[in-house]
Amino acid sequence: MIRRYLLASIASLALAGVGSLSLMGAPAPQKAAKSANSASKGSAAPAQASITVDGVKDIDPDKAFGSKNAPVVMEVFTDFQCPACKQLYTTTLQRVTDNYADSGKIYIVHRDFPLPMHAYSRVAASYARAACHIGKCETVESALFQNQEKWEVSGDVKGTVASVLTPAEMKKVQALVDSGSLEPLIDHDKQIGQAIPITQTPTSVLRTKDGQTYPVVGFVSYDVLKTLLDQLVK
Amino acid sequence: MQSAPFNYRRLIIWLGRLLLGGIFIYAGFSKIALPNSFYWPLPMLKFSISANLSNFGYQVASYKMLSPAGVNFVSHILPFAEVLLGLLLLIGWRLRIWATVVSLFMLMFLTVVTRAYLLHMDINCGCFATPEPVSLKKILEDSSMALLAILMTVFAYQEARKPHPWSGPQVPPPATT
Repeated sequence: MIRRYLLASIASLALAGVGSLSLMGAPAPQKAAKSANSASKGSAAPAQASITVDGVKDIDPDKAFGSKNAPVVMEVFTDFQCPACKQLYTTTLQRVTDNYADSGKIYIVHRDFPLPMHAYSRVAASYARAACHIGKCETVESALFQNQEKWEVSGDVKGTVASVLTPAEMKKVQALVDSGSLEPLIDHDKQIGQAIPITQTPTSVLRTKDGQTYPVVGFVSYDVLKTLLDQLVK
Repeated sequence: MQSAPFNYRRLIIWLGRLLLGGIFIYAGFSKIALPNSFYWPLPMLKFSISANLSNFGYQVASYKMLSPAGVNFVSHILPFAEVLLGLLLLIGWRLRIWATVVSLFMLMFLTVVTRAYLLHMDINCGCFATPEPVSLKKILEDSSMALLAILMTVFAYQEARKPHPWSGPQVPPPATT
């Protein structure tokens, strides 16, 4: 019987140890906010005109949606080749845009965070960014995510983008991609993410007007995210 | 007092209980408490756990083996079952029953991971909170754990048939006339 109690104590200690290790590894909300700001200060200014909303700096206005006066700013760091990002975009983010951004409750900022393990995610980010600059952000981002399984095998990112644009639009997009002028913006988004730090994609960072920051890591369903958004936009 | 004699079967049982018990507790705990870890106030804790289970649900769904209802059931039950099984292994209560259950769990994990690998599915295994691709290394890890779980179970049954090494000398039953 004593042996049982001894083992139970060891088990409880082990569980408590694992718990405290996890707590130590978790980024505190305030810390995340500070590190993101310091990243913005320390890096080079992006090539295109960027804006600041509620202390969130270096926002590319072509990749942001909703009202700048919204009580919450939501930065979404995604990689176009990441399956969980596809799931978040197609099932959660589009509903958040419809129900929260379009009604002025949330200002959504799309941030690029292409991972080196994905061969075509950087190319996809370049085409998507270029499309955003000619006003076709949603169309191209949606096409890239919806057809992810095809172009990640074939590598035909350009073809996927061309299939949803007119030849004239595609010409403008291709010119922007070829000029390389948007690359610093992608690099800058990545630097901001690394400073938070973003450990996996997708990660959504929610910032309220009173300075609180809530990084939501990984895929999260709309119904679950809604419970947090409703608390924050109150 | 006489100490228990060295016995390789008992060594395997102890190793299995400590290793698998610890791994199961960590696996379940990490799915519940990570990667999102808001612990206060209470609604944030609830959101955090729901978000983590939702993330795990996505990983379960990516195996494309279950219906949405099945995915929902597994993602909300499995992490808690893993913690409970890990604790039961460490405590050692009804070891034969729980060792059998753990062995079945390990065989199930090994089967689904091997299937995903053979189908060249580019997914995270969902074993722990940190993203890990399904790979040959993961299959080898799962195989080792499954083997340990099976040996632990078999030896637990074998040892249970023998008198406990700490029990007193066997008293022969009184002769009947």
